[in-house]
Amino acid sequence: MTDFKKIEENLKKEAKRLLESGEVTVVLAYGKGFDEKHPMPFAAKSVADVDNIVFNEYCNYNMARYLVRYPQGTKIAIAVKAADSRAVIQLIQEEKIKKENLVLLGIPVIGMKNPKTDEVIDSKTTCGMHNPVLYDVLLGEEVHGQKIVSPYDVLAEYEAMDKDARWQFWKDQFDKCIRCYACRKACPMCYCDPCFIDQNKPKWADKAPQSPGNIMYHLTRFHHLAGRCIDCGECSRACPVDIPLYLFHKKVAKECEEMFNQVSGMSIEDKPVLVNFRVEDSDKILE
Amino acid sequence: MDFEPKILGIACNWCTYTGADLAGTTRLQYPQNVRVVRVMCSSRINPSFIFRALQLGADGVLVGGCHPGDCHYNTGNLYARRRLATTKKILEFAGIEPGRFRVEWISASEGNRFAEVVEEFTTQVKNLGPQTKLKIQE
Repeated sequence: MTDFKKIEENLKKEAKRLLESGEVTVVLAYGKGFDEKHPMPFAAKSVADVDNIVFNEYCNYNMARYLVRYPQGTKIAIAVKAADSRAVIQLIQEEKIKKENLVLLGIPVIGMKNPKTDEVIDSKTTCGMHNPVLYDVLLGEEVHGQKIVSPYDVLAEYEAMDKDARWQFWKDQFDKCIRCYACRKACPMCYCDPCFIDQNKPKWADKAPQSPGNIMYHLTRFHHLAGRCIDCGECSRACPVDIPLYLFHKKVAKECEEMFNQVSGMSIEDKPVLVNFRVEDSDKILE
Repeated sequence: MDFEPKILGIACNWCTYTGADLAGTTRLQYPQNVRVVRVMCSSRINPSFIFRALQLGADGVLVGGCHPGDCHYNTGNLYARRRLATTKKILEFAGIEPGRFRVEWISASEGNRFAEVVEEFTTQVKNLGPQTKLKIQE
């Protein structure tokens, strides 16, 4: 198991060094919340702030969410776990941030817990990776020797469903939606301003939390995240009514991987699949 | 009375729309279920158009574009191919019959092909019956 105390110490030490030397102006990490179980996203802007940094098994927020809120050119250090580092790579691919303005504090971690259910977060709801893909400083020992489970295994049950049953399943799920947009707020890839759902001309969908508008919102959001979702599972953890959004995102990611042979957020050299093409793409994908 | 499906056709200006025009001028007979909307390029099609059309009462959506490599804007349909393939997978996983959505490459000289595709697709949608899943109930 991961030594969370040691990572916290290293995180503080590194944040202090970076802020003191003036290498960065802000360190994005986790801060104290109202209790152990609910740490908060935290931006340390001075050496005095560093003492408030914490790291424990409930720090599952994806801090890459906050990168795009700073003006271009701000020097930022950010604490990244496995999926978070993929989000950073994806944002670099989309030219929202530049690698040279970032210091990535990689955190290899295993055994993160969902504060709502106290269950360990694994490949069922996320990408199931333990080591950050891209980092400048590593704050702990790399995790090795874990059994590799495909993050798409959980889909088998839903793919086997009859299409009418699957429609009923999703309709019931989307009917629960209260349109709080927590999924959008938590997602590191949802940075559009304005979001399509907030537009009035054209008005894409009804804004009332009722079935047609909910379905339109979610289906379009899945499409906008196709080939970009890095499977951090943050949308489903943020959801107050527990819609399993991760299932749909996983399915779309799986299809994109099969069709275009590219996994999102693995290399800064790649281009997102839907703003790219190959002449030799087969027409079979349309069948 | 027989079920007559409503089908939205979205056709690219340079190939499919001209092809449809050719089908008309050569007086080919084909079903009248398709309402064609002209766009400048198949990559102009926002996937939300398709979701929205199904919500507003279309039973099927037919998208026509230039053959890959023949795009008037060189690469438009190559982007559209990836995008619309993803749309199809999303509709499928949401539980909507994938047969209600079709993408077809029809060039300006293929009036016959246009009539053929419309006929095939209309029969296909007719067999699937009315689309009630996404349609907004009044």
